[in-house]
Amino acid sequence: MNMTFKEKSAWGSLVALALVSYWFFPAAFNAATYATDPAGLVAISIGCIVTLIIIEAIYQSVIAAVDGDASDERDALINLKAERIAGYVLGIALFTLVARIIAVEALEWVETMGALTIAVWILFTLTVSEVAKLISQIAFYRFSA
Amino acid sequence: MAKTHVRNNIRTLRFEHGEMTQQSLADRVGVTRQTIVAIEKEKYSPSLEAAFKIAAVFGEPLEAVFSYEPSSR
Repeated sequence: MNMTFKEKSAWGSLVALALVSYWFFPAAFNAATYATDPAGLVAISIGCIVTLIIIEAIYQSVIAAVDGDASDERDALINLKAERIAGYVLGIALFTLVARIIAVEALEWVETMGALTIAVWILFTLTVSEVAKLISQIAFYRFSA
Repeated sequence: MAKTHVRNNIRTLRFEHGEMTQQSLADRVGVTRQTIVAIEKEKYSPSLEAAFKIAAVFGEPLEAVFSYEPSSR
């Protein structure tokens, strides 16, 4: 496939993020909901972030060494468009989360969430917005922009 | 696949300039080869600066390389 450095980078980031998230979020939500081991949750979070950084660093170094890391105005435009979409996704996701927290406190008709669960949900919304950005980038590279 | 309203003759001009490769044009303009591909396929409208640089590579005025085709609606 004929791809720029930035598109390869987006694919790599998407795959790495999806793999780490697939493993991390079920464990994190489970740990946060039952609050069995808060310290363990922190350790899992740090471990996942470090793993993600290592995977990204290795992958980016390899593709930069093979193809170079050139980028231009089209890459910048695509990045801006994708950032805008990610911003919308993050806004909607956070608004939904805040609405749920308010509903818990004010209306008392949904199950209470602990601080750890809210923290994991915030991490989840950040991850979803990043995934939206990466998918948007790839779609713009493949189909338009 | 959405096309832009900016049409171009880059493919023809490359042919007329000794079968200039997309990579060669990209190097002279300062963009990636994939951007030249996207411009040729009219999937991407270059910036004014890039458009002038492309025209300059071929030694043509801007309007000989690019034209604007308004929407038919």
